[in-house]
Amino acid sequence: MKAHKNVKIDIGDGAAIPHHKDRGLFNAWWISLIGAVTIIFCLIILKPDPYLDILKFLPDGVVVTFQVTILSILGALVLGLFTGLGRISRIRPINLLASTYVEVVRGIPLLVQLFYIYFALGQLFRELPETNAVFIFLKNMPPLVAAVTAMSICYGAYMGEVFRAGIESIDKGQTEAARSLGFNRSQTMRFVVLPQAWRTILPPVGNEFIALLKDSSLVSILAVADLLRRGREFASVSFDYFEAYTMVALVYLLITLILSKGVSIMESRLNYYVQD
Amino acid sequence: MSKTESIIDIQNVSKFFGQLRALDDVSLQIGAGQKYVIIGPSGSGKSTLLRSINRLEDIDQGRILVDGKDIMDPKNNINRIRMELGMVFQNFNLFPHKTVLDNLTMAPIKLKGLSKKDAEKIGMELLHKVGIQDKADVYPTMLSGGQQQRVAIARALAMNPKIMLFDEPTSALDPEMIGEVLDVMVALAKEGMTMVVVTHEMGFAREVADQIVFMDHGKILEQGTPGHFFESPEHPRLRQFLEQIL
Ligand SMILES: Nc1ncnc2c1ncn2[C@@H]1O[C@H](COP(=O)(O)OP(=O)(O)OP(=O)(O)O)[C@@H](O)[C@H]1O
Ligand SMILES: [Mg+2]
Repeated sequence: MKAHKNVKIDIGDGAAIPHHKDRGLFNAWWISLIGAVTIIFCLIILKPDPYLDILKFLPDGVVVTFQVTILSILGALVLGLFTGLGRISRIRPINLLASTYVEVVRGIPLLVQLFYIYFALGQLFRELPETNAVFIFLKNMPPLVAAVTAMSICYGAYMGEVFRAGIESIDKGQTEAARSLGFNRSQTMRFVVLPQAWRTILPPVGNEFIALLKDSSLVSILAVADLLRRGREFASVSFDYFEAYTMVALVYLLITLILSKGVSIMESRLNYYVQD
Repeated sequence: MSKTESIIDIQNVSKFFGQLRALDDVSLQIGAGQKYVIIGPSGSGKSTLLRSINRLEDIDQGRILVDGKDIMDPKNNINRIRMELGMVFQNFNLFPHKTVLDNLTMAPIKLKGLSKKDAEKIGMELLHKVGIQDKADVYPTMLSGGQQQRVAIARALAMNPKIMLFDEPTSALDPEMIGEVLDVMVALAKEGMTMVVVTHEMGFAREVADQIVFMDHGKILEQGTPGHFFESPEHPRLRQFLEQIL
């Protein structure tokens, strides 16, 4: 059937982890994983002070990192869906709005976006009167909220491209078949196009998730106590910079290695569908 | 709603793709229960005409009335009109994420509010009719082309349309599977369905058609009964075309 081309979406930015095509124990993934685990073990056994202390200090940060990542990816998915639909919309203003959003967000570094929302807008917000709950909330915008907002907006733009490509990967005949049965535009999208498009969308979303997790280390600048921030806090008290950042790097590596394996497993599972 | 003899009334329709005039002042009246076969060389506008009837293409000039309703009139809900117009495509276009039975029940459930049970009962009857009831629970990609096209016909019939449009339903099939699809179409014709069929299957045209329409360069050049078409074609372009395909 023509309806299902297995379209790989390559959006360039963001999706950083390559697919693991090479099998066996001697590929880069296994070497990295075994290496990271071995080094962590050796370090905490050979030099528990400070490595074990650091390892005990970091899990709170891992939780925050996942919090920021998951909340941001959810925000990005919602924004991405609407952006993707906007990008293929026939209604010119909507189309233009979505494209402009993508263009603008892609043109500003994530770190600048974070600063802008937290420090620049934060300054404006502080001048708001305390007349209603929204204003009061904005006046004292928690850094986590600023972080998630900025990351969602940034990744929403990339996600929009993922959604657009996913939707466009579905054969036009599918839409025509649905429309000819009497489905309207939005029913066609909901019942026919999107349920098929997610198979194309999911792997890049997985890769975006990993990229987002790594980028989430930027939020440590806003005093969000994520993994990097925790490492930094430990180091600034004990002055074990080398040890703390070594551990932080190894933990990030472990997390992304495991997640990237998850994504490639998911990807191969999804491929069963394409049998033509 | 104006009273009319024809269930499909195509009046002076033109359609442009950029500079190209894909339909050039086409008029055609099709009565309820009639079977029309449209033939013509590649690019002559057969698909465009068929797709204009259910507004998969928007026409630029003229009018098309389906069951008395002007399909271009924004007051008429095109989605409702389409429920009366089943369409079968060259590439089947089954929904690959749904089982065969779900392909049939989806539209009646979502659009007509049928219960799952009722829709499945109708669906199974239709699968029986097209001879693939034992494939109800498999996914379309597991089926042969001929089977897929029979499912596609059943899917269109599940909405209980008044009219069926076929756009080269057997052109994508291996030769040994053409027969099984044509058999289903012949059976449908015998039940009195109004059918508009774009096809190169002249045997089918001869057996089933009330009228055959020959198109070239977006125009209808000749129209008549199978007898007229095959015994005494008039237009030189038609004669040339028939010589090529017969
Ligand atoms: N979406 C489109 N955009 C531009 N041109 C189109 C489009 N669809 C069809 N055409 C052109 O319109 C003309 C008529 O096309 P149409 O598909 O109706 O022909 P056809 O008779 O069905 O041909 P075939 O036997 O090859 O299916 C052709 O020249 C075709 O290239
Ligand atoms: Mg055609």
